[in-house]
Amino acid sequence: MEEVLETQVVVIGGGITGAGILRDLALRGIKAILVEQGDLGHGTSTRNHGLLHSGGRYAVRDPEAAVESYHENLILKKTIPGSIEKTGGLFVKLPEDDDDYAQKWLRSCKKLGIPVEEIPVEQALREEPYLNKKAQAVFCVPDGAVDDFTLLVDVCADAVRRGAKTLTYHKVTDIVTEQERVVGVCIRDVLTGMEKEIRADIVVNAAGPWGMEIAGMAGVPLKIINNKGMLVVFSHRFNKRVINRLRMPGDGDIFVPAHDVTIFGTTGVNTENPNDFSLSRPELEHMLADGKALIPSIDDMRLIRAYSGSRPLYQTSAGRGSSGRDVTRGMALLDHHERDGMDGFITITGGKLTTFRLMAEKTVDLVCEKLGVQANCTTNVETVSGRRTGDSFNKADIAPAARHKLRNWAGVQAPKIESALKEEESSHIVCECEQVTWAEIEAAMPEKGSFRLGGIRRRTRLGMGPCQGTFCNFRAAALAAEKGRATIEEADGALLHAVSERKKGMGVVATGETARQLLLMETIYRVSLGFGEEAHQNV
Amino acid sequence: MLDPNILETTYEKCLKCNACVASCPVSGVTLDFGGPKHLGPELKRLVDNQQIIDDKRIEFCTLCGNCDMSCPENVHVSTLTAYAKAIHTEKSGFSFRDFVLSNAELVGKMASAFAPVTNMAMKMKPIRKMMEKMMGIPEDRQFPNYQFKNFNRVYKNKTSGSKRKVAYFVGCYATYNAPEVAGSFVKVMEYNGIEVAIPRQKCCGIPMLANGRMNRAQKNASDNIESLLAYTRRGYDVVATCTSCSLALKKEYLSINGTDEARELAAHVYDADEYLRMLKEEGELNVNLAPMKDRAGYHAPCHMRAQGMGNPAMDMLELIPEYDVQDLGAGCCGQCGTFGFKKEKYDVSMKLGRTMAESVKDLGADYTVTECGMCKNQLDQLTDKAVKHPIQILAESYERAKRAI
Ligand SMILES: Cc1cc2nc3c(=O)[nH]c(=O)nc-3n(C[C@H](O)[C@H](O)[C@H](O)COP(=O)(O)OP(=O)(O)OC[C@H]3O[C@@H](n4cnc5c(N)ncnc54)[C@H](O)[C@@H]3O)c2cc1C
Ligand code: SF4
Ligand code: SF4
Repeated sequence: MEEVLETQVVVIGGGITGAGILRDLALRGIKAILVEQGDLGHGTSTRNHGLLHSGGRYAVRDPEAAVESYHENLILKKTIPGSIEKTGGLFVKLPEDDDDYAQKWLRSCKKLGIPVEEIPVEQALREEPYLNKKAQAVFCVPDGAVDDFTLLVDVCADAVRRGAKTLTYHKVTDIVTEQERVVGVCIRDVLTGMEKEIRADIVVNAAGPWGMEIAGMAGVPLKIINNKGMLVVFSHRFNKRVINRLRMPGDGDIFVPAHDVTIFGTTGVNTENPNDFSLSRPELEHMLADGKALIPSIDDMRLIRAYSGSRPLYQTSAGRGSSGRDVTRGMALLDHHERDGMDGFITITGGKLTTFRLMAEKTVDLVCEKLGVQANCTTNVETVSGRRTGDSFNKADIAPAARHKLRNWAGVQAPKIESALKEEESSHIVCECEQVTWAEIEAAMPEKGSFRLGGIRRRTRLGMGPCQGTFCNFRAAALAAEKGRATIEEADGALLHAVSERKKGMGVVATGETARQLLLMETIYRVSLGFGEEAHQNV
Repeated sequence: MLDPNILETTYEKCLKCNACVASCPVSGVTLDFGGPKHLGPELKRLVDNQQIIDDKRIEFCTLCGNCDMSCPENVHVSTLTAYAKAIHTEKSGFSFRDFVLSNAELVGKMASAFAPVTNMAMKMKPIRKMMEKMMGIPEDRQFPNYQFKNFNRVYKNKTSGSKRKVAYFVGCYATYNAPEVAGSFVKVMEYNGIEVAIPRQKCCGIPMLANGRMNRAQKNASDNIESLLAYTRRGYDVVATCTSCSLALKKEYLSINGTDEARELAAHVYDADEYLRMLKEEGELNVNLAPMKDRAGYHAPCHMRAQGMGNPAMDMLELIPEYDVQDLGAGCCGQCGTFGFKKEKYDVSMKLGRTMAESVKDLGADYTVTECGMCKNQLDQLTDKAVKHPIQILAESYERAKRAI
């Protein structure tokens, strides 16, 4: 007989929206299970720019979204400090950018209360030497950089600590309905193939670009257009602050510093398939040509990889009756009872990483209303434990760079990692580019479940540097096998998967050093380690 | 304040291949050093536009430049390690000892002002003990002698009247410690009908770089560039007898100064033997060299090799009839500028030098030839053979030829 679980709320989707909802539910004492088909962050939530918007970008086009962003920006900096770097941001006006827009922008920011401060161009050029010398005016805004991996992991961990459950690598295969009412979901463990059912009072569809599929399972019409954007990663961090172009938002006009790299983007192309993560060289070239206006030496800099993700854009037209409760134009909260006569089912979609907390708040307000629970949202004040650990790791015998990383990274894992580091082998650096020790890798491995390098990468930055895992992927896999944390087959499989995944992201940017790096990687894996063509088939 | 975000971006190209680590003489003898890859390109990437990370182990880097030579991607590894040194110096404060050692010029001036006393003092036990205590200079470490008749007091020619004109970058060592080398160079040039001018000059800056004093090195670089360009623009070639100086003028200034002027100057700089070899190729060299029956072992300084010009000293010495010179092929000497003067680096320095000392012994030549004053210091310490500069040998050969006429 198949396993049946029971809970109050099922949240479909382990992106940032689902994670935020799970935590909010837990804080309000509502039992919930989050179901995610892959690892946390399988979708758009780890495939975006990582910009904590100040609202500046939307000040002219979408004032409502701008205010929401600014408001959330302030809350997140306080409540989830471990995943946010308060870099600040610049809006830069170039000679070819419209003066009128700049004037409108300034007026709108002022009206909306978004703090803007003009700085002398010379000062901006001194601080950001790669910026176009022709810049006409430069304004500072309170943008920030978000680490979307740690954000997601920490928000979920906080929810779990408060009693919520997560089921990763579990795919929702069907939605169970009884007389115009959703009563649960059917799920399948994608690793074992085992089928299960979860009975619940309410099911929340937070499946992002897959939202349409989920709605379809409940027989509810929903139209989402997936707008795919491409991003590229530079091999090092060449800017201190976020650099935006002061013009009507377009392609290729934001540079976000993210730890040791700079992320640049983006584009927008509609796609039917939510699983479409394809990358296009012409699209990349077009984007780089745009980016050159802000950073003229862009072509001389080394790109290490590219990736893409889709923005789910809700289309009001497809609903019957009311258009649902549009929180703003970008963010849609749909009560399918009100909208389609299907009780116990809610869809939340659109929005931004920056506004995930607000989206969760609105969603859980609606859940409470439906469940008749009286509880206020507290995520605007309750903090998620941070990541910076002051002067810990003093005694560890590791390079200062590795110590520095741990102090900004280890968070609640610090005591565990610190004691593991006492063992000499655990203090070996496995990933040199990002200074990841074996102790960290071990701490990032799940208690049960199979060995996967992707999950470790997202939790430790293993293989995220310029060599893209040329050396550390096989080191990590070999160590895991040696230490009994993975079988040889698991280690091999994980390695093949990781390498082919890295190669996809590198392939499209592979010119110059990255082409040579790819060649070196191929040589090591194909020739030295004897991995054959499977690397290509395993994609 | 030092701006750590230098526009040295070659670290971007690093493929993590480890060739530099394999070639680093220090990594070869101690595990206490983080190695060129980590302390060079890797660390630079981790601190660019972020919080600075200070790694004390950078003190072990001798700035010998072997890493640069081995890198297939042309990463300026030792420029990056020089920056790590600068960061370390700024973070940890600057010890008096490093101040003295990085200030070859100042010390040279001070010491040669009362040279006999200094030389005595350097050899006297109690004083050395005190130096070890106060400054961390190992008691057993021999020092180069300081000469009272330093070269500046002897030779004051500011311009040249010959067709080919040479502006001689004397360098601190030949100015203060080995004026005989400078004298030989002037003579060799005379034998070739070239009059030598001595431009206004400051220490090339390498000792400052090695001790993390980036700002000072940059200042000296811009002073030297200005002064030397005034010569090159009037048709002078800049020639140095010290291979660290020529490396600085040719290569380091491009990184630490980076201006068009630095580039302009670099195109006119020659190592002394390289210059002579060029004269030979142009058919301008006076080849009237008298035979010399000596047997010599040649030690190639790291900073000579780092210039990627082959081995001009060997090429020149081989022109002397009957002269038997063999390359010791011994790698790094371990003195490495001011490195071997430091107490905590003394053991590493001695280990590094062992291969060199052994090959000197194995060869059993009459004496050793090398361009670098610091290599000479290590050779003096570790071997009992005399050490000469190739230009001294050439001068002697020319002189014998003249006497024979
Ligand atoms: C190119 C790009 C750049 C962006 N940049 C920024 C930015 O800089 N700042 C910002 O604030 N926002 C940005 N965004 C927007 C932001 O990334 C998204 O709004 C946000 O990540 C959406 O999160 P989500 O949780 O709703 O969706 P997702 O992260 O996609 O989560 C949905 C999850 O549902 C899971 N799922 C789907 N079907 C099933 C199923 N049947 N069973 C189980 N699980 C399922 C998926 O695997 C996925 O993990 C950007 C978006 C894009 C595309
Ligand atoms: S300069 Fe010499 S000692 Fe320093 S890292 Fe390079 S090879 Fe090693
Ligand atoms: S030799 Fe060059 S490419 Fe190889 S690791 Fe060293 S710096 Fe990097």
